Amino acid sequence: MSDHPAMIEGPPEGFNADDALAMDVALGALGREELRAAERRMRSDPAFRALVEGWQQTLSPLVDDVSAVAPPASVWEAIESEITPAARPVVAPAARSAWLTLGFWRGLAVGGVAGAALALAPVLLPGGPAAPPVLVATLAGTDGVPLVAATYDPARGSVIFAPATQRHDTGKSPELWVIEGKNPPRSLGVIDIGNPNAHLDARLKGLKPGSTLAISIEPLGGSPTGLPTGPVVATGTLSAV
Amino acid sequence: MSAAAELAALLARCGDGDRAAFAETYNRTSAKLFGVILRILPERGEAEDVLQEVYVTVWRKAAEFDAARASPITWLATIARNRAIDRFRSRSSRPSAPLDDAVDVRDETPLADQLIDTHRAASAVHAALATLEPRHAAAIRSTYFEGMTYEALAAREGIPVGTLKSWVRRGLMRMKAEMPA
Repeated sequence: MSDHPAMIEGPPEGFNADDALAMDVALGALGREELRAAERRMRSDPAFRALVEGWQQTLSPLVDDVSAVAPPASVWEAIESEITPAARPVVAPAARSAWLTLGFWRGLAVGGVAGAALALAPVLLPGGPAAPPVLVATLAGTDGVPLVAATYDPARGSVIFAPATQRHDTGKSPELWVIEGKNPPRSLGVIDIGNPNAHLDARLKGLKPGSTLAISIEPLGGSPTGLPTGPVVATGTLSAV
Repeated sequence: MSAAAELAALLARCGDGDRAAFAETYNRTSAKLFGVILRILPERGEAEDVLQEVYVTVWRKAAEFDAARASPITWLATIARNRAIDRFRSRSSRPSAPLDDAVDVRDETPLADQLIDTHRAASAVHAALATLEPRHAAAIRSTYFEGMTYEALAAREGIPVGTLKSWVRRGLMRMKAEMPA
């Protein structure tokens, strides 16, 4: 919430700047940059996000007004081929590497890989005595150079990232994955590794020590397949502080 | 089970990687979302591209859907509108009909599909909109359905942006006050 919410003229309604911005976002009345800024704020400010979601919920019955128009069958075919990994090689064969094979991921999860050695990050977060333990991992490349330190706070269901090295992947999105036991990598969402930030995502619930975190570089918006498609640039194992 | 509850259950299965549930979700919802996208992007090829992006996003993000925070149709419509608006914003503006026309374009043939249990909710929204001055209600509709920015709509209507914002925001507050919680 703003420290000093600006009142918009016109009683009796009386609402503050956050209310007004939340309406604008839900309506879709903002320009691109303003909208992006508001979306960033939604990710870091749950109260604001709740305001926007409230307005989205209020307005969504309006879509009942819109006539349904059956899309051509070609749309579904395109969607199906896009979400079926085998149907469309996302990475050219030459660019494929051991990083991309399930076997590699399993090997990583089971035995660990020399280059993916982790270092404990000396980060402490506030937490009461009953709070589940905070977990940390340093995600490093195969050369051992740390890319980012990750601190997982189970109480908040968030991961705080502190970049150690800057990467510039223009037009790409870094995506966070967890490998739990022998399971294939599971996406934990698209992340920002350019600046220190807190990553909030419902899928972060219940991460356990010993699981491997990995970051791959994906097309803008994240992997189209639900599995890593681009190069894995860093990995590390979660452990208690 | 209500249509909304069924859709929420389908999305939960999509989140677990169930392709059959995803196909069923598409069958139930794609015509409505295509209609929503076409209002913002009337060019069909472009609307089809966006529809494709929307469902790929739905598949990838289904695990994030939280029935406690949003109804399934709100969640789906928000993804569709955001994608369509983003595409619309990425290019220059298109011609559009002024508000006095928009007042008349309301589609009076809703409610025919199984998609949502919003009949009552939709009636409540319409009843609330009907209490507003017609130009104010039309401004809310134009921003919501056509994806217009305040600036673009104000320019089209030849009114100051501040005036338009005031119409829309005060109209929304009044709408909300009129609607059952």
